[in-house]
Amino acid sequence: MSSQLGALVLTHLSDRRRSLLAWGVPLGLWSAFIVLIFPSVEGALSKAIKNYPPALKEAFGIGELTNVEQYLHAEMLSLIVPLALGYLAVRAVSSGLSGAAESGRLDVLLSAPVSRSRLAAASFAATAVELAIILVLTVLGSLVSGADLSFGAALAGYANVWPLALMFAGFGVIATGFSLRTSVVTGSVAGVLVSMYVIDLIGRLDPDLSGIRYVSVFRYYGHAIEDGIEPLAFFAVTVAAIVLAAFGAWLFERRDLSG
Amino acid sequence: MSVIETERLTKSYGSARGIEDVTISVEAAEVFGFLGPNGAGKTTAIRTLLDLLHPSSGSARIFGLDSHRDSVAIRARLGNLPGDFSYGKQATGREAIRLLARLRGIEGLGRAEALAERFRADLDRPLGQLSRGNRQKVGLILACFHSPELLILDEPTSGLDPLMQEEFLALVAEERERGCTVLLSSHELDEVERVCDRVGIVRAGKLIAVERIDELLGKALRTVTLELADPGDLADLRALSGVCDLQASDGKVSFKVAGDLDPVIKAIARRHVLDMELTHPTLEEIFLSYYREGEG
Repeated sequence: MSSQLGALVLTHLSDRRRSLLAWGVPLGLWSAFIVLIFPSVEGALSKAIKNYPPALKEAFGIGELTNVEQYLHAEMLSLIVPLALGYLAVRAVSSGLSGAAESGRLDVLLSAPVSRSRLAAASFAATAVELAIILVLTVLGSLVSGADLSFGAALAGYANVWPLALMFAGFGVIATGFSLRTSVVTGSVAGVLVSMYVIDLIGRLDPDLSGIRYVSVFRYYGHAIEDGIEPLAFFAVTVAAIVLAAFGAWLFERRDLSG
Repeated sequence: MSVIETERLTKSYGSARGIEDVTISVEAAEVFGFLGPNGAGKTTAIRTLLDLLHPSSGSARIFGLDSHRDSVAIRARLGNLPGDFSYGKQATGREAIRLLARLRGIEGLGRAEALAERFRADLDRPLGQLSRGNRQKVGLILACFHSPELLILDEPTSGLDPLMQEEFLALVAEERERGCTVLLSSHELDEVERVCDRVGIVRAGKLIAVERIDELLGKALRTVTLELADPGDLADLRALSGVCDLQASDGKVSFKVAGDLDPVIKAIARRHVLDMELTHPTLEEIFLSYYREGEG
């Protein structure tokens, strides 16, 4: 029933409202700060970057820093935001599953006529909404600072993080199929997150190892703030995240929920 | 048709004790108690019925439906109080009830307000700020607010003060009158004795007996201690059926008795009694009486 899903998603978001602000506001402010300081550091940065090794620039997606979009990508979108929101996604999705199990809430919810799959779907959907809200707050932060930043470019850059982070929410649902301890779920998926980032980094640094990038979701992330969103990659990663979550829900349905 | 029916239900997991070959049948409008010490397997049995744990073997049917395959349909018709109830710290009881009502497709809060008034429960404070007893009241309201056909309550009076325990026992009696079937677990014989029609005694994961409550108490040995002005000859007491372990010294007489108390009381009444005490058996003593029976 969609009304059950809606009630669960709204409750999840209400429970996470502090987290929304705790992540969205600092990221928005940091984004604003990056945009605001760009004019004053632009010259010095360009000189410094010319001296960077080409491989390092390639690894971290640093090209010419001649406009604020490039600077925002280098400072926010190449590392901080994807990793932070990937981790947040795991925390968010696990709060509705393993976190609910630890708090005793899961037993209460499962005394109602709602399937475990629906609980997992609601947790995943609420995480998708939470990520979108945080990204909107971050985009707004970078725009209200008044700098010469293209709204479309900023929106594309931050929106492109959404499927990537959602992928780790999918891994989070899978992890709850194996453990109902939040520390185990977040720890294991954070390990996957960092591993994927490092694998992609290695693949970019060493052309001989570029093939390993295909196992990392960061391979499909790109530079949306400059190049626009790659629709196929965006769609494929979103679908992959949903498939992972569906598999996780299947595992969650079949596991014991010990008291 | 039985409301709950299990056939050799078994759950074994890890190193923890589960349940083994539990076979019970609970009829409509019956109050059935799982009685046993902590760790006996009562909670495992309940969680397996509720499909929170999947059985290793055997089967369980509720309302004639398979407890695993039809779990969602079953839960639409029951109310459940989990053992050691908690729901997180931030949410209030009212928020929890509102969510459960929406999940059940109920407009409003059912009879939650009336139950809150009856149990003097605070539905507007975050559950993390409530004492264990006050949280338990909210748990009871969550289990009952939608007037279910079946109530499954794991240690329902845990943390409740004596007044609220009385209120709870009265509520269970009213629920039975309404036609509701109740399955509850407890390690308190007094509680089970007052409210249950039948009990299943669980020990070490096994159901060692299912008895009507009056039969259970009749079989168990109660201890009678008397202070008599003149004990005299106690042969008549000693000869009574069900009396054993009779000991006398300095005007004090004590013995154990099983079964009907009436002949014992009549025999005592022929004497000048200064004081008398009747002690009901502890849970362990009841278990021992069953083991004795098994050995016999």
